[in-house]
Amino acid sequence: MKLTCTQENFKKAIYSTERVVGKQITLPILENILLETDNGMLKISATNLEIGVFLKIGAKIEEEGKITVPARLLSNFVNNIPNVGTVSLSVVDQTLHIESGSSKAQIKGLQAQDFPIIPEMEGEFLFSLPAQEMKEVIPRLAVCVSLDSTRPELTGLNFVLDKLEVRLAATDSFRLAEAVVTLIKDNSQAYDLFIEKTNSVIVPLNTISELFRVINPETQDIKIGIEESQIFFQIDNVRIVSRLINGKYPPYQQIIPQEFTTKVFLPKDEVLRAVKIAGIFTHSKAGEVKFTVNSQAKEIYVQSKAEEVGENKTILSAQIEGPDQEALFNPRYMVDGLQAISTSHLVLLMNSGASPAVLRMVQGEKKEEMLNYTYIIMPIKN
Amino acid sequence: MNNAELWQAALGEIELSISKANFSTWFKNTTILSNENGKVVIGVPNGFAKEWLENKYNTYIFRALRNFQDDIKEISCIIYSNEQAPLNEIKKMDSAAPVLEQQLVQEIQQGGNFAQRPIQPMMHTGQTNAPYENNINARYTFENFIIGENNELARAACFAVSQNLGKIYNPLFIYGGVGLGKTHLLQSIGNEVLANDPSRRIKYITSERFANELIDSIRNQTVNDFKSAYQAIDLLIIDDVQFLAGKEKTQNEFFHIFNALYQINKQIVISSDRPPKAIATLEDRLRSRFEGGMIADIGKPDIETRIAILKTKSAENNFYLDEEAIRFIAENVKNNIRELEGALNRIIAACEFNKKLPTLKFVQQALAEIISSGKKKGVQAQNVIEAISQYFNISTKELIEKGRKKEIAYARHIAMYLMRSELSASYPSIGTQFGGRDHTTALHAYEKINREMETDEKVREDVAVLRERIYAV
Repeated sequence: MKLTCTQENFKKAIYSTERVVGKQITLPILENILLETDNGMLKISATNLEIGVFLKIGAKIEEEGKITVPARLLSNFVNNIPNVGTVSLSVVDQTLHIESGSSKAQIKGLQAQDFPIIPEMEGEFLFSLPAQEMKEVIPRLAVCVSLDSTRPELTGLNFVLDKLEVRLAATDSFRLAEAVVTLIKDNSQAYDLFIEKTNSVIVPLNTISELFRVINPETQDIKIGIEESQIFFQIDNVRIVSRLINGKYPPYQQIIPQEFTTKVFLPKDEVLRAVKIAGIFTHSKAGEVKFTVNSQAKEIYVQSKAEEVGENKTILSAQIEGPDQEALFNPRYMVDGLQAISTSHLVLLMNSGASPAVLRMVQGEKKEEMLNYTYIIMPIKN
Repeated sequence: MNNAELWQAALGEIELSISKANFSTWFKNTTILSNENGKVVIGVPNGFAKEWLENKYNTYIFRALRNFQDDIKEISCIIYSNEQAPLNEIKKMDSAAPVLEQQLVQEIQQGGNFAQRPIQPMMHTGQTNAPYENNINARYTFENFIIGENNELARAACFAVSQNLGKIYNPLFIYGGVGLGKTHLLQSIGNEVLANDPSRRIKYITSERFANELIDSIRNQTVNDFKSAYQAIDLLIIDDVQFLAGKEKTQNEFFHIFNALYQINKQIVISSDRPPKAIATLEDRLRSRFEGGMIADIGKPDIETRIAILKTKSAENNFYLDEEAIRFIAENVKNNIRELEGALNRIIAACEFNKKLPTLKFVQQALAEIISSGKKKGVQAQNVIEAISQYFNISTKELIEKGRKKEIAYARHIAMYLMRSELSASYPSIGTQFGGRDHTTALHAYEKINREMETDEKVREDVAVLRERIYAV
């Protein structure tokens, strides 16, 4: 193998692939990334057998070939060399020679034949999602994904595919976040056929964070295809393949109440501050913060108390519709939900101190409720 | 030969032709789904395995299968998980899934009380819903138990027991030092059995809790209920049985429960920090029963095992440590796995706190306090002598004076040995500690014990237990 490519492209390519590497101890080659020439391009692949990532960059190829080298070593080297424009790569005796300006390196590699084959898609992409919207939505949902491996189906993001939109949901069974994103059909007929059969898939959190990482500010859309328990993403020139989590996602929609008796409109920053302060006055994990809605005074009280620490209370004026309410929440979960709100005001919807409460964003003068993001949190019962 | 047997046989053959790492990576969780008209369909857990088996290993598989069934013409793989239905069978979310929905609602509601009560993993509360607690923690399984030379036998015995309750090794007695994985193995048996058959009644209990429950039942006059509850169990796991030593009434009750279960071929698994004959004040009839089954020990992990453990644990924590750092930790933290995990946690915390990468140097600094060149601080000659006099029930005065009674001389020798090996004290100073004896006396003692440890099990036990006691101060 002998080729030259731009340093910028090479660096970006290594950055996009390197992170999935290296959490396997059984097979040493999984700590490597694969470099190979492919139809006049340089193809770079990495995998941990759960996720596979590959991309192609333009290169001037003098001699075809392939090799695998340790990912961390390569990325540490590439990240630290000065930017001079181009990088030349060549392979001699299982060793990768890299040359860029005044820096040279030789990295010992392993046989490319032993590198896992990253599954390719057989059919076509089914649909696309707007990349920038996803970049905004993913962090809001990711905080709610469960890390408990005894319930594997909750350790990923649920995609419910509908005719015009995708519902994304995450829950760790203490709280739940749902976002609705409008989809673009790439192949309308195939998509409609597909959702007849399968309309819900669960994508592992690791895959989602990998996806999040490769979305650039310029990225337009994310193409998505699903085949045989696997999901394929195409983001610009990067292709991600991942297994799907087997299992059935709980039908969470049934627990979102349709009606709420009390609606409280609040400025986001002030509530967030109040809950954070309340969090200080609780035990580190076992804490609870009390929300009291006083509709007559048009105020809500956010308070907490811990025997050995002390107590606090914040009074916020709010626009309230409906009767008085009182409920206890875990401050950590409340903060997660509030932080995901990107508008200046939000609405807190409640029925009673024992049924789920909902946070949603509101926009405009009329404080219109936005349905594209819903955060559900269960109160602590007394 | 059915499909499962065929596949087992073929796997046995394939295992011989490829490396162990490759075998366990690519053939884990594979199975034959159908075998008709010479076409074999293999179920594999993910797309990577599918590609690999179809493209790289198909000749191996083909050859291996042909050995057992010569009309096989074609092999293909599909992605399949044996726990749940394949993806394409997952239908639309039917709204008539009241069970799951209830569970979620319930869980979310309990979630509010997260802090107050731990959540029970669903897999165990799901079906049996029995009114007793089995105390099995789903975290401990055979899959995440790391096998090394030190624990191979114990692990194999436990696994065999989990597959064949009450039929092969009964009772199974596992012993080994603190933090070497006894509890992990014991719990794994429970989890494995539950995974195979959730209706089995299992009880894991430490001997201390067993004693407490018995005392409660005596106070509440419900001893009979207590006994019959235990006698209805399929698998009884008693952890740390050495704490029964000296509690006669408890031993007595335990003896009856043991007998009742043993006679109807129910499995009993017991763990302790030393072999049955080394547990002082254990009644003879119990001791002989413990010795009647299978006894397996867990030793200290060798360096390779320690490295493997560190790698697994750091991967679990998504924490990257380079080879050098791992080797350094493994070389310096030798005695037990819990300490090993502690050291790793300490490094992770230190890295997060200081926002630094875990280079070898940083790791050395972070662990300086724990290892300080291999010796624990604060252990002195006096601690050794006290530990010895307690263990052998000999006063420190006797130990130091001239007496040459056999038991005393033995204890004295061990004390000298430990001072030399653990505190690196000089022979003359050891002599001085023991009433101004000559340095050659100390030298002789050290060499004698060293020699005897190679041949005599009892000496080895005594030294091991004492070494732990010294550091337990």
